[in-house]
Amino acid sequence: MAATRRLQKELNDMRVHGLKCFRDIQVDESNILSWTGLIVPENPPFNKGAFRIEINFPAEYPFKPPKINFKTKIYHPNIDEKGQVCLPIISAENWKPATKTDQVIQALVALVNDPEPEHPLRAELAEEYLKDRKKFFKLAEEYTKKHSEKRPAD
Amino acid sequence: MADIFNFIFGVVRNIFRMFSSSRNPLNNSLNIFIKCNTGNTLTVGLDPKWDIKDVKNIIAPKLGANPDEVKIIFAGKELDDSIIIEDCDLGEQSTLHAVKLKDLSIRATKQKKCSLLRETVEDEDEITLLQEKNNRDKSHFYVYCSVCAAMKIGKLRIRCSKCKSGAFTVDTDPKSWNDVLKPNKISGHCEQNDCPDGVFGWAQFYFRCAEHICQGENDIAVPLYLLKNNLRKIPCLACTEIKDIVFVFTCREAHVTCLECFRVYAVLRLRERQFVLDDSFGYTISCPVGCENSLIDECHHFKLLTKEQYEMYQKFATEEYILKAGGVLCPQPGCGEGIIVDLKCDKIVCVNGCGYVFCRKCLQGYHIGECNSVDNNISIDNIQHVTDPAKALQARWDEATNVAIRVTTKPCPKCRTATERSGGCMHMICTRCSFHWCWVCQIEWSRDCMGTHWFG
Repeated sequence: MAATRRLQKELNDMRVHGLKCFRDIQVDESNILSWTGLIVPENPPFNKGAFRIEINFPAEYPFKPPKINFKTKIYHPNIDEKGQVCLPIISAENWKPATKTDQVIQALVALVNDPEPEHPLRAELAEEYLKDRKKFFKLAEEYTKKHSEKRPAD
Repeated sequence: MADIFNFIFGVVRNIFRMFSSSRNPLNNSLNIFIKCNTGNTLTVGLDPKWDIKDVKNIIAPKLGANPDEVKIIFAGKELDDSIIIEDCDLGEQSTLHAVKLKDLSIRATKQKKCSLLRETVEDEDEITLLQEKNNRDKSHFYVYCSVCAAMKIGKLRIRCSKCKSGAFTVDTDPKSWNDVLKPNKISGHCEQNDCPDGVFGWAQFYFRCAEHICQGENDIAVPLYLLKNNLRKIPCLACTEIKDIVFVFTCREAHVTCLECFRVYAVLRLRERQFVLDDSFGYTISCPVGCENSLIDECHHFKLLTKEQYEMYQKFATEEYILKAGGVLCPQPGCGEGIIVDLKCDKIVCVNGCGYVFCRKCLQGYHIGECNSVDNNISIDNIQHVTDPAKALQARWDEATNVAIRVTTKPCPKCRTATERSGGCMHMICTRCSFHWCWVCQIEWSRDCMGTHWFG
């Protein structure tokens, strides 16, 4: 199956040339279509923790895009309470089969680091982010400390 | 006198040779048809180790000519005396063309070394051309062969575009697929005695399957020219593996997939009804990267799908054609017959299909007057005898399916195609008409929908 072979290769590449911002990639031996990993943002207020995400690849991958879900709660204008995230690079209209998972992850980390309040999933957080950045940072930091996972030591 | 002596000696030698070869039958002799420009066709068994000079010696007497008056033509090229038969890419029961020269002086001008046409037709620069020569055994044309019902290695052949005779020599080699696929690109010379074009004509290129014994003149195959031998070692854009045979899309970037990924991609787009019906190319798709002007322009490439998938392709293509032509598809479950209709008449009979009579506007059973809306089209008002309305409502054939469809789907606000939402956000894109709509509001998708209920 094309998806399996491609994902095996991508997984090996990502494990060899690891991304600093995406760690602890775990894949169930029996199902290479489902990955989890830890997003480690650089920018405040999210740099106080790490966020577990799940990536689900369809059987038709790479002709259909993967789906990303946050398993860790996050206070972010572009990620909703259910962990759904709107990432243009993996939307049905923009998806290109040659796009690699590490590019998707990099786009996701960039979005986490720098929220895009122009395309919000949580309008109230976007508004807060735009109008009262200080308050947003304070609440987001508290939320991160309360809910996020521990950042890897190295 | 000396000529006559030579001639007799040649004949005797050849008779002796044929005789001796029949006494010691060749294990791997090739049965070849030799077609003469006089109209005769001979069947000969050739030893693959012989050269063309030997062939001429056999043929000459039959043409009533000297061996050096005979010209042997194959695949648009005159074959030089020194060429060995097994180097000619001749398959079992191939046809060679023998021509008796009228004027020996023509010959002198055409004595240049003959290069055989084989797999060197590509839009390549010189370096890759050299590489391709080195890789000759790995380099092939691919065709869809209807006899084998599969993709096969193909052989390029040439004939006169006017009289269809193979006794045709080209003036120049074709340099690209354009030269081969478009008519009147390569000129040449037809040797057939009665050809109206004769000295100046156009070459017509065609392909044969290389893997079954030729079944005659009309046994030709369609070139699948987007399939190439991956001599440049380009990885598949989807699975990233480097495969021997690849599919090269028609976009400017010439994106490459392996055949397996091409099939996965085509079937996925087919099932999602994402093929487009193009006026000149037919029902087709573009490059998976989404490049502009990249529609696959030869629909035989979809023969790479399985038989069942190709049948689905043909069915969908027909349906799209009928809808585009203003026709309708019979709404009866299991029928779906395409009907081209008179736009003035709303009453349609599925004549060649199931015989169902229906209304063109609402696709329900035919009725007089205005169409009812789909939700309350079944009325029990005018039933005379008494039944329990609740029981009657449950006891309807197909109603369970109808209910399921009604509950789980919503119609596209533009084309009314029943659409199921299996997950994801509320932003729907109609697979049939590409309309962007909102699952919640059932109107065109807007920024407002995005802001208030993008994810429900």
